[in-house]
Amino acid sequence: MQNKGKLVRIFIGNVANAVVHEILENAIEEQSLRSHYGKEMQNSFLLAKRYRKKLNPGGKPLPDKESADIKAKIMKKAVNELKLRIKKGYTNIDVDSADKIAEKLLKKLKA
Amino acid sequence: MVNEIIARVSRGSRMDQVYLPKNRASALGVGEYVVIAPALRKEQITPYYYNAGHIEPIKAEIIQGILSNSEAENIIIAGSFLEKGFCFEDIDIIVINGEGRAIENYVEIAFGLKAHIINMKYDALRAGLNTDPLFQMILSRFASKERILLNIKPQINYKLLDLHLLKSKLLPEQFEHLNGKEKYKLARNMIAIKLFIEGKTATIEKVNKEIESLFGKGAVKSIFENTIEKTPFTAKYREVYRKVFNAIMGGISHAKQGQAG
Repeated sequence: MQNKGKLVRIFIGNVANAVVHEILENAIEEQSLRSHYGKEMQNSFLLAKRYRKKLNPGGKPLPDKESADIKAKIMKKAVNELKLRIKKGYTNIDVDSADKIAEKLLKKLKA
Repeated sequence: MVNEIIARVSRGSRMDQVYLPKNRASALGVGEYVVIAPALRKEQITPYYYNAGHIEPIKAEIIQGILSNSEAENIIIAGSFLEKGFCFEDIDIIVINGEGRAIENYVEIAFGLKAHIINMKYDALRAGLNTDPLFQMILSRFASKERILLNIKPQINYKLLDLHLLKSKLLPEQFEHLNGKEKYKLARNMIAIKLFIEGKTATIEKVNKEIESLFGKGAVKSIFENTIEKTPFTAKYREVYRKVFNAIMGGISHAKQGQAG
């Protein structure tokens, strides 16, 4: 039996990574380089999907309370990663878009 | 009578067939053995190989087939397909000014393999080689339709490197849930970026050598076979990740100061 708490943590980590990836990708100025890397974000998303399947109840959306808690943790992780970069001088990062992106990914993952 | 007939292959229910007219040369009589060969042969392309070493004959045939069956300006076959053995999931194919979907379909129908197509122009290819260590690594060996002059002028784009490194961030946390191949890919990703920042060209050989240097002799095999010990590996991995991440953040910070000054 796999530890559900750990699976949830890993799931949160991967979704947060996917959110950060999408925002950083949009922050890259060179369009020609940017377009090639869209598929890279899928890596974190696909891993998140794998862990989502291991969580109960499989196939159905998670209970609202659990879902809200997961989203809050994803947002916290993602925003912290983004703020760390902004502090180092990274420009063009749209932190405000994190919520919408997280919502979109969680909807796809039925979480 | 000429001992040669051009006929079409027809689909049958249990076997396909070729129909022959009754009036034909005696050399093509009932009971005679004949050779069935394509009437029209496509022009055979001679592939250009870069640093590919020995290629298994079946792979050489596949390469020949792919390169001979496309009108693209150039086609570059690279990635794990060219490594020794048959541990590849798909064939990485870069298509320069051509129809990628047609090649993808051809590879699947002709060989039953999956192709990962990247459509790009030469400018983007050069930009990728100059700025992307993973691209450099993929193209450290390849087969192509036309010769390519690789004139790599490394340019460190810290934002791009940050984006790439992110993929490798969570390996320690999900160590038990990843298979050996996945662990190896993530470690390889991080090390390629490390080498690039240090001003070195990222080739598969150099990356593997660096992995062995950091994680111990035999580490590449152990990681790939998923037999590497978790605690020492993840401890070292985190240390290396932190250094590479800090170097990238330092680069971004430095660039920002340079703009302000």
